[in-house]
Amino acid sequence: MFVQLLAPDGARVPSAEFDPHVAHLGGDELLGLYRDMVVVRRLDAEATALQRQGELALWPPLLGQEAAQIGSARMLRPGDFVFSSYREHAVAYVRGVDLTDLVRVWRGTTASGWDPFSINMATPQVIIGAQALHATGYAMGIRNDGSDDVAVAYFGDGAMSEGDVSEAMVFAASFAVPVVFFCQNNHWAISEPVRVQSRVDLADRATGFGIPSMRVDGNDVLAVAAATAIALERARAGGGPTFIEAVTYRMGPHTTADDPTRYRDADELAQWQRRDPISRLGEHLRAAGVLDTSADERIAAESDAAAAELRAGCLAIADPPPLAVFDHVYAEPHATVDRQREDYARYLDGFAE
Amino acid sequence: MSVLTLGKALNRGLHRALADDPKVVVMGEDVGVLGGVYRITDGLQAEFGAHRVVDTPLAESAILGTAIGLAFRGYRPVCEIQFDGFVYPAFDQIVSQLARMHSRTRGAVTLPLTIRIPVGGGIGSAEHHSDSPEALFVHTPGLRVVTASTPQDAHTLLRQAIACDDPVIFFEPKRRYHVKGEVDEEAVELPMGSARVARAGDQVTLVTFGALVPTALDAATAAAEEGVSIEVIDLRSLSPIDYDTVAASVRRTGRLVVAHEAPFTAGLGAEIAATITERCFNFLEAAPVRVTGHDIVYPPARLEKHHVPDLDRILYGVDQVLGRVPAPSAAAERA
Amino acid sequence: MTLREFRLPDLGEGLTESDIVAWRIAEGDAVELNQIIAEVETAKALVELPSPYAGVVAELHAREGETVNVGDPLVTFAVTAPAPSSTTEDDAPEPNLVGYGARPEHAGRPVRRARRVPAGVVPAAPVVRRDRAERPRSTPPVRHLARQLGIDLERVTGTGPDGLITRDDVAAVANRVTDSGPVTRIPIRGVRKHTAAAMVASAFTAPHVTVFHTIDVTAARELSARLTAETGAKIGLLAIVSRAVCLGLAAHPELNSRWEDGTQEIVQYGYVNLGIAAATDRGLVVPNVKDAGTLALPEMAAALAELTSEARAGKASPERLTGGTFTITNIGVFGVEAGTPILNPGEAGILALGAAQRRPWEFEGGIALREVMTLSLSFDHRVVDGEQGSRFLAELGARLERADEGELT
Repeated sequence: MFVQLLAPDGARVPSAEFDPHVAHLGGDELLGLYRDMVVVRRLDAEATALQRQGELALWPPLLGQEAAQIGSARMLRPGDFVFSSYREHAVAYVRGVDLTDLVRVWRGTTASGWDPFSINMATPQVIIGAQALHATGYAMGIRNDGSDDVAVAYFGDGAMSEGDVSEAMVFAASFAVPVVFFCQNNHWAISEPVRVQSRVDLADRATGFGIPSMRVDGNDVLAVAAATAIALERARAGGGPTFIEAVTYRMGPHTTADDPTRYRDADELAQWQRRDPISRLGEHLRAAGVLDTSADERIAAESDAAAAELRAGCLAIADPPPLAVFDHVYAEPHATVDRQREDYARYLDGFAE
Repeated sequence: MSVLTLGKALNRGLHRALADDPKVVVMGEDVGVLGGVYRITDGLQAEFGAHRVVDTPLAESAILGTAIGLAFRGYRPVCEIQFDGFVYPAFDQIVSQLARMHSRTRGAVTLPLTIRIPVGGGIGSAEHHSDSPEALFVHTPGLRVVTASTPQDAHTLLRQAIACDDPVIFFEPKRRYHVKGEVDEEAVELPMGSARVARAGDQVTLVTFGALVPTALDAATAAAEEGVSIEVIDLRSLSPIDYDTVAASVRRTGRLVVAHEAPFTAGLGAEIAATITERCFNFLEAAPVRVTGHDIVYPPARLEKHHVPDLDRILYGVDQVLGRVPAPSAAAERA
Repeated sequence: MTLREFRLPDLGEGLTESDIVAWRIAEGDAVELNQIIAEVETAKALVELPSPYAGVVAELHAREGETVNVGDPLVTFAVTAPAPSSTTEDDAPEPNLVGYGARPEHAGRPVRRARRVPAGVVPAAPVVRRDRAERPRSTPPVRHLARQLGIDLERVTGTGPDGLITRDDVAAVANRVTDSGPVTRIPIRGVRKHTAAAMVASAFTAPHVTVFHTIDVTAARELSARLTAETGAKIGLLAIVSRAVCLGLAAHPELNSRWEDGTQEIVQYGYVNLGIAAATDRGLVVPNVKDAGTLALPEMAAALAELTSEARAGKASPERLTGGTFTITNIGVFGVEAGTPILNPGEAGILALGAAQRRPWEFEGGIALREVMTLSLSFDHRVVDGEQGSRFLAELGARLERADEGELT
């Protein structure tokens, strides 16, 4: 299976099975998706530049994965809950995060850029695959509550090798909980190609657990939206988990500390550039007369504004006060931590300047 | 003799190990084609082949578990865990299987694994990239735990660890990978369980390991200007700890300071303070002082300097053990 | 127009330096925000650097091919718009928020930050002598005491197990007088150490009383001379006194006993082991003549001679030196008249003989020059009453003044 509703050249590929799930997306909505992808790509580039300028310690770029993240995230309801990896900046953007909050963790001033309950999205997970279990457990809670919310776990192809992800699928299937496992197969786990992680399509693994599975063109925002809509509908109706493999490509490095030229060749990148998610939707919308010059200009201005807001916000992030290291270790008072805070405060106070 | 970075010294150590013993296998995430995220395994796959320098799937528990299986078959695996915070999925295989197999099989099976793990903070990174989990492993019988602070020690200790028939956890101070030093690949080795007196002194014994050794040496240099003579001991081996060397020093100085990045409670400082108090009670001028990370989750990059002991905090601990400022014990008595 | 310096950031999780591969700008060029200004190579990657400012390139601080450390200046920009003020600048020379990563912890000499309240005085230089591998052993509370008393534990001998310095050891040193001039230090060892210990034990347990009796020993001297001439063997005054003492002890057993605290008994000896204090090269020793009460005068003299020569030669056996029941100490050989001798532990009486001097004395109703000696008897007042001690001494004196050969031999 490989669901594609929008070919790389922008042509619409009809599908009897999947078209109904995106029928409600008219010209305005599609333009909105286009704009989202352009803006997040710009934000991503700005964050990369900020790192190169020493304003961020590190940045894991999502370049190339815009459609997979925007297409899926735009299908969610506010009450749904997201557990993601550290690369889902576009999902956070869609959930309504403050732009500056996207970079707080990478600035190194905090462990969490936002309150998870403010946008119903957990702090991005650094430990590969751990979030799959959390999403499954959250979904167990949804089921207990009798609600029709859905939990979504975002992770990559590398995560599919971690035991946590398999265990999550066991639980999800066993308890038939409302969870969507959204795997972005971006083909690389740092330097390791996806064939090291799996000999079969990742979507086929989920089937082995008894979980309905779809393999979609992750660079096709329509296909992604359709598949996500199907999965959400199934979950809300009590049909249990769904696995979506969004086939995409990590066009940038693993993080700004990585150099992909050491392990992959330029031809591959060029190939995937020809399947770029943004340009294909752009072609489609231009051909449909939806994306005209004024829309282009408007979107460009919005991108610039967003980038400027991100930059200004980033530069304005101040260091937290030293004693903040002692905050929030526990929810309830803890004598040892309290004492150490006092001791350290006294120590700092003792400096001459 | 050449001048190498600590990272390059490790690379040379792995190279020698691979060349000397066909049963040595290096395995981990991104160690082959990429040469490791810190380039420690750079060039090794090209030279020795993909079956000896293995890019594994992304699964730490499996890296350890399959390495155990390889060892059963007679191989000598050298596993890399990419960062300290990523070792926990493998912790079960390490503690439940690797550490116990020799005992479980009444000595019939040896698992001569070496597990290389870059540890410690000071690199301004994200969560899970700056931990110091040594206490968890030192507390696990059946494991040897070793760390190095200089390129020479990194080179020779890694080769010793690989050659050792017991499982060895080999901690690498990642923020010191770039530090240069002389490395003699044919150097006569100190025994693997031994500590090294990094700097001689009379008044205070300062015990530490890994990334804090250069900090401790800087502290001793600064202290000398105030007329305080500090003896710095680089433990090198955390399991077992070379208490003979430490005790001989404390019997002369009467004062002990232990420094480590890991949190205070149940860290190695507690173990060393207790043992030295037992062995040197009648030589102590003051209660031992521990200068450590706080009992907190490792903080974000901009705050890590308030957690990881630096020169000033170490010297404050030295002042405490000298009685120049109120000691922690005195403060506790007043409270 | 403000000048803003852009310093090389850590480009990847702990890098310390980068090489400038190529500049994409030149001094004087106008640049836009994020415009690529250089290609640099790190240990990990080839990286393009985007400009952090919009403005004009004022100065390039490195050449192509040069290696630059993280934190070193790279480019100075003349900035048109007011640059975003980074409120996060650190005290140390840490470039625009950079300093992420493994930068060196100090430039040049390591120095500590000054404290408001200076730390206290550094304790005195190490107390360990170079020739010793260890410092003195003591417990923390005793060290504390020594510190308070200003006593250097190096100078204290420990009497505890394995040479542990005890509280008493420190206290003893504390009670020592401080010298105001040069002194010679003699280690306390060997015979002196043991003798001193015995004396202390004795002196501070038994209440000592000393009674004195000055007697005319002229007749005793004459007896000694006559018997020596007759027998050919030396029978000195000491032998005569020893014989007289034995006779006296037979009549006064309380002087030949000991006080036993543990059993709460006074043990009266059924024999006399007569100790004679002897000064030797190694110190004071008190060998004793066993069962002296059974010895007639000639045998007594012989025994004393043997004992003395043995002691002088340092050949007294442990058996010889233990088990005494009464002691005579001849201080007269040093020229003094009287003393207050200290009991040998385990004994109740000790007799000191002063020097015999020719003095005007009462003799047969007139004044004559006679040989006169003072006897000093110290006794354990727990065991011996004043009356008993005095009577013993008086009778001894009378016996010696009589110097009756029949009585004494």
